[in-house]
Amino acid sequence: MPLDTSAYNLALLRVDGRRWNELRRIHAQIRTQPAADGSSYLEMGHTKVMCVVTGPSESGARRVGTTGGAAAGALGSGGGGSRDGDAEVVVSVVLAGFSSVDRKRRGRNDKGILELQSTISSALSSSLHTHLYPRSTISISLHVLSQDGSLLAALLNAATLACIDAGIAMTDYVAACTAGSTSTYAANDEKADPLLDMNHQEEQELPGLTVATLGQSDRVIVLVCESRVQVSRLEGMLAVGVDGCKQVRDIMDKVVREKGRRMLEEGAIEKGVGLEDMDLD
Amino acid sequence: MPREAEPSLNEKTFVLQALQEKLRLDGREFDQYRPLELTFGEEYGVAEVSLGKTKVLAKASAEVTVPYPDRPLDGVFQISTELSPMASPAFEVNRPTETEVLLSRLLEKTVRRSGALDTESLCLVAGQKCWSVRVDVHVLSHDGNLIDACCFAVVAALRHFKKADTSIEGGVLTVYTPAEREPVPLGWLHSPFCVTWSVFGEEGDIAILDATRAEEQVRVGSCTISLNRHGEICQIAKLGGTAVEAIALLNCTGIALTKAKELSSYLDGKLAEDAKRRDKSGRAELLTAENDRVTG
Repeated sequence: MPLDTSAYNLALLRVDGRRWNELRRIHAQIRTQPAADGSSYLEMGHTKVMCVVTGPSESGARRVGTTGGAAAGALGSGGGGSRDGDAEVVVSVVLAGFSSVDRKRRGRNDKGILELQSTISSALSSSLHTHLYPRSTISISLHVLSQDGSLLAALLNAATLACIDAGIAMTDYVAACTAGSTSTYAANDEKADPLLDMNHQEEQELPGLTVATLGQSDRVIVLVCESRVQVSRLEGMLAVGVDGCKQVRDIMDKVVREKGRRMLEEGAIEKGVGLEDMDLD
Repeated sequence: MPREAEPSLNEKTFVLQALQEKLRLDGREFDQYRPLELTFGEEYGVAEVSLGKTKVLAKASAEVTVPYPDRPLDGVFQISTELSPMASPAFEVNRPTETEVLLSRLLEKTVRRSGALDTESLCLVAGQKCWSVRVDVHVLSHDGNLIDACCFAVVAALRHFKKADTSIEGGVLTVYTPAEREPVPLGWLHSPFCVTWSVFGEEGDIAILDATRAEEQVRVGSCTISLNRHGEICQIAKLGGTAVEAIALLNCTGIALTKAKELSSYLDGKLAEDAKRRDKSGRAELLTAENDRVTG
């Protein structure tokens, strides 16, 4: 389905009516699954993902003597923290058959999914304090209910929220979003605008990249670009992407704080020592 | 399952401390490649690349098949990678490791999805016959930086490759042997090259090019950037690992571009040299049926 990107220049509005620097609606919830150690549900526009975290728990016998990611077969792949004594982060991603327009059968060894899993595993284990949980496994399972672009970003954000809910020690939020550019690789026009948070239609048509940063900093954990684009576009796209990550981080932070406040009010948890004077809003 | 031996604590500290003091074990600069060597085989489409002690062999081949029903006007193009126990004891036959999956995805994104090969030119009869071009990559020896070496080998093999000339008369497809007609090169649009940065240090502030295996084993992250000489990014993959300042990544991209241009001109030189060596009679110009086309 060709998208007429030339229309952008007329009103500076994108296909879904956003300006270049606007995120789609992000709605997130944590502690959605009572049985899980940590869980979250996240929507970025029409991209909807669920995440369940189990662990840190004792590594199963199947892990003995294998390297990280070796058990990729059935339970997803783990990349980070394969060193002895550090917790291992095992990620599995399931794309629901009804999540996109065409129902595509994906084998268990679909390389695209394996790559997603290893990216998420490696990105999170750089933020999680895996050295605090020696010889254990943190297993993250992600379910994609609906796809509308920015899939990797949504998965990373959902996984971060679920890890926070599970109470796993981490350095900071891993916040991710996408950025694109209105120019195609062939056009060398200087007027091209960078775009924040691309939906599926834009991802099909325009060059774009996924950025994940560590909290409020400018430090990039994940940078994935899969389309052809001029080098000169990269700076603008990266700047917009990093800025978007900061916005995403604030939204996620609000969700976590709101949930914490509600749980305190409901008496589900007790205020910890030293929390009396802490501002929970 | 076999497992790669981890470097000892002493080795780790040695490599890392040397890097902190801006030294590498083999005395290279941080942004310097090991000596790159490319040799073409006797056949068209065989390229052997060695980068220091890393050795990679790529072979391109083509056959006539039926195109995919959903893409009747496109040919088939696939890249397959093989990491055998020959390269490292951690690799097993028929069981792809994470390294292999990521490597083949990267090659696929760099060469196939960036449209380096014009797959439409592989179509012979719409919906019925097309060329299927295949590149097999074999890693003969693994001393780090497989990605860059493999990508260079794939591009070199494809640029060197020539497929048999064909003609269609009255719906009958004739494939000519090299004796009948000079084989024709593939429709090539641009040459992408991978440049991989390895990142070290708590803050990810040390970045080096072309890491050896010892360096790869202690790195905290990596970033592979694929570019062609026209300054187009074909793919960037920083798949997790330690966080790196955004500005540093932009600098890395700038240096990667100059490296990609160097690789590009090296390959062009080698191809010209090989063409000259093969053209003993000096009549290649006359024999070719190729049209002028701007290639990259």
